[in-house]
Amino acid sequence: MQLAKFKNINALLATATCSLFSNTVLATPLMNASDNSDIHNDNSWKIDTALMYYAETDRVSALEGIIAAKKDFGEEHILSGKLVFDTLTGASASGAVPQKTPQTYTRPSGKAQYRTPSNTTPLDDTFRDTRLQFNVQWSQPISEQDKISTGIQLSREYDYQSIAVNGGYTRELNQKNTAIFTGLSFAFDTLAPEGGRPVPLSAMVVDNTEGISGDNNISFKDAFEATRQQGGENTRNTVDLMFGVTQVINRRWIMQLNYGYSQVDGYLTDPFKVVSVVNDQGDALNQLHENRPSERTKHNIYWQNKAHFDEAVFDLSYRYSFDDWKISSHAIESKLRWPLTSSTYIQPSIRYYQQDAAEFYTPFITDDQPIPEYASADYRIGKLTTMTFGAKYLQELENNHSWGVRMEYYIQTPKNAGFEAVGQLQDLELYEEVKAFVVQFNYSF
Amino acid sequence: MHYTFKQLNKGSFYCIQFQAMASLCEVLVETQNAELVYKIGCLAEAEAKRIEAKFSRYTNNNVCYAINNAQGKPLAIDTETASLLHFAAQCYEMSDGMFDVTSGILRRAWTFDGSNRLATQAQISTLLPLVGWQQVTLTDHTLQMPTGMEIDFGGIGKEYAVNCVAQICTQQAPDISILINFGGDIQVTQARKNKQAWQIGIEDPTFKADAKIKANAASKPLKTELAIKQINIQQGGLATSGDARRYLLHNHIRYSHILNPKTGWPITNAPHSITVATAHCIQAGCLATMALLQGEHAEAFLDAQKVKYWSYH
Repeated sequence: MQLAKFKNINALLATATCSLFSNTVLATPLMNASDNSDIHNDNSWKIDTALMYYAETDRVSALEGIIAAKKDFGEEHILSGKLVFDTLTGASASGAVPQKTPQTYTRPSGKAQYRTPSNTTPLDDTFRDTRLQFNVQWSQPISEQDKISTGIQLSREYDYQSIAVNGGYTRELNQKNTAIFTGLSFAFDTLAPEGGRPVPLSAMVVDNTEGISGDNNISFKDAFEATRQQGGENTRNTVDLMFGVTQVINRRWIMQLNYGYSQVDGYLTDPFKVVSVVNDQGDALNQLHENRPSERTKHNIYWQNKAHFDEAVFDLSYRYSFDDWKISSHAIESKLRWPLTSSTYIQPSIRYYQQDAAEFYTPFITDDQPIPEYASADYRIGKLTTMTFGAKYLQELENNHSWGVRMEYYIQTPKNAGFEAVGQLQDLELYEEVKAFVVQFNYSF
Repeated sequence: MHYTFKQLNKGSFYCIQFQAMASLCEVLVETQNAELVYKIGCLAEAEAKRIEAKFSRYTNNNVCYAINNAQGKPLAIDTETASLLHFAAQCYEMSDGMFDVTSGILRRAWTFDGSNRLATQAQISTLLPLVGWQQVTLTDHTLQMPTGMEIDFGGIGKEYAVNCVAQICTQQAPDISILINFGGDIQVTQARKNKQAWQIGIEDPTFKADAKIKANAASKPLKTELAIKQINIQQGGLATSGDARRYLLHNHIRYSHILNPKTGWPITNAPHSITVATAHCIQAGCLATMALLQGEHAEAFLDAQKVKYWSYH
């Protein structure tokens, strides 16, 4: 057969062509042109700035500023960095059950109290934090098909600090139609919560003497101190591993499949969360400081599809994750990028998330049962579903700058994971919905 | 700068024109922004002329001249030249030595003027030792080849220029469809807004040959439109290789101006012209030339490449 005589060299030729034009030197001797207008060249820093405001109804609000910078030093040697500053204020659910009578709780610092009105989810309103996070990443090719990257991330909060390092390797195959990626990262966190780390499952000490509890109240101070850990683990180490494949299916469709493995060891308990112990009337007898296992192994699988139509880009992704705390979750997200003009687009998005409760999650503990080894009433590790509706608008400006605005509305609905409410709890809302709104402005230049 | 530009097709795009590389060069820009067109015109013409000046073999003060007159000594070359020669080296490998930028020297023996004058084997035999990329030592920064050998960028230069200009156009106007056409070597940077194809005329050698015969018979002047074949292109690169006017006819054998670098003789029984469409103009140009080098098996070669092509016999 005649055809068998010839090899298909087009793939090789395409690769040779790509490498010929990936050489940035081609763009550099650009111009002694008479033209003096601003030639936007790839070698300048590309800066993205964003300001985000996040607000939950009656709960936490956050203001976040982001500056990201990226520079291509040629031949895909890329340095990028990001600085994030955010401040959080407001209240978050403490984990205690609501009651038909007003309740008094001690703040995690032990220095004051807060009161929760009747029929209301107890919220600890001392939630206030600022976080500064910085990361820098370098990536470069090491051969025609191979690329490596490495980076470091530092994060500092009022009561928490973290350092993480990562490395990644990408190989392009099959005429750059396939890319395989593997990445590894290590994070080392140190926690120093205000008021110290509570002794696991110790009862919250509440000063019921009239008047202000303060430094002069010696017996309260001693009792509070007795519920604090002396020494012990205050760090947390995380190892993340990732394997990914990106495949160009055809001219219009690109697909990505990732598997992620994550292992965390150390202090994983939330020092600010409690679990209520209730009697058969549903009356809260006391609040125990929660306790979580000191190890967690997570697996996740992520599948993303991007389809490029003549004008629009459709993105559909699915993530499944599960861990040895028995939390499993599914997330489906879809986005449609729709150009309005040649320089503007709008991108509506919708996301559905569903998770099952951790095996030690419990909305409360009844006083007729032994106290379990691990317990948490934190709704975030309980059974819940979340719906997110969003839209983004972006406009490219003549000078290669662009601005955009993004808005999201978010409804988180905790569900009963099969616990039977007792006594007064039957009449109270144990699984209160959380609604949040996000607005973000972007400017890139 | 000598380019001109005008608005065409009810103002839906601008057409920039200038002369470079012995061709009419056109850049079609789908915009109403005259200022942008002005800028692209400046950059496109400057880039085309820069590449022409740098790689032309008709001048004695450029890198091509320096390479061909290095007298066997290692020569320092710039990154762009090295990249382009690395590309040529890969083409040589892929084509099993048929696509060879050192084969131009054989033209000393051959004059393709439509006549029947063949070169003598003696002439060819003296030139053959000076042909063969395997004799060239290329690194990222240097090139060394035996005295007397010559490198000719003619086979890839124009297509390369088209892609360089396309790259500049994409940088300048990332969201606009721009068609670059240097004498039939074409690149479209991206699809047009309303999915419309760019329509352009390329020389159709068969049509021209037939028309010429008919025109002679009728003793009428030939209408230029007859020589042009209309093609539609939405995105990607297109290039044509052929011998519409450059061949020898001897004993009813048509000797194409494409020379076999291994024998020094012209390829016979190849199509007159081959047009290939691929992602990049330079890629299409190389495939078209490699196909012609296969002579009567040109189409079989192209079928194996799984590309879109048009061949004319």
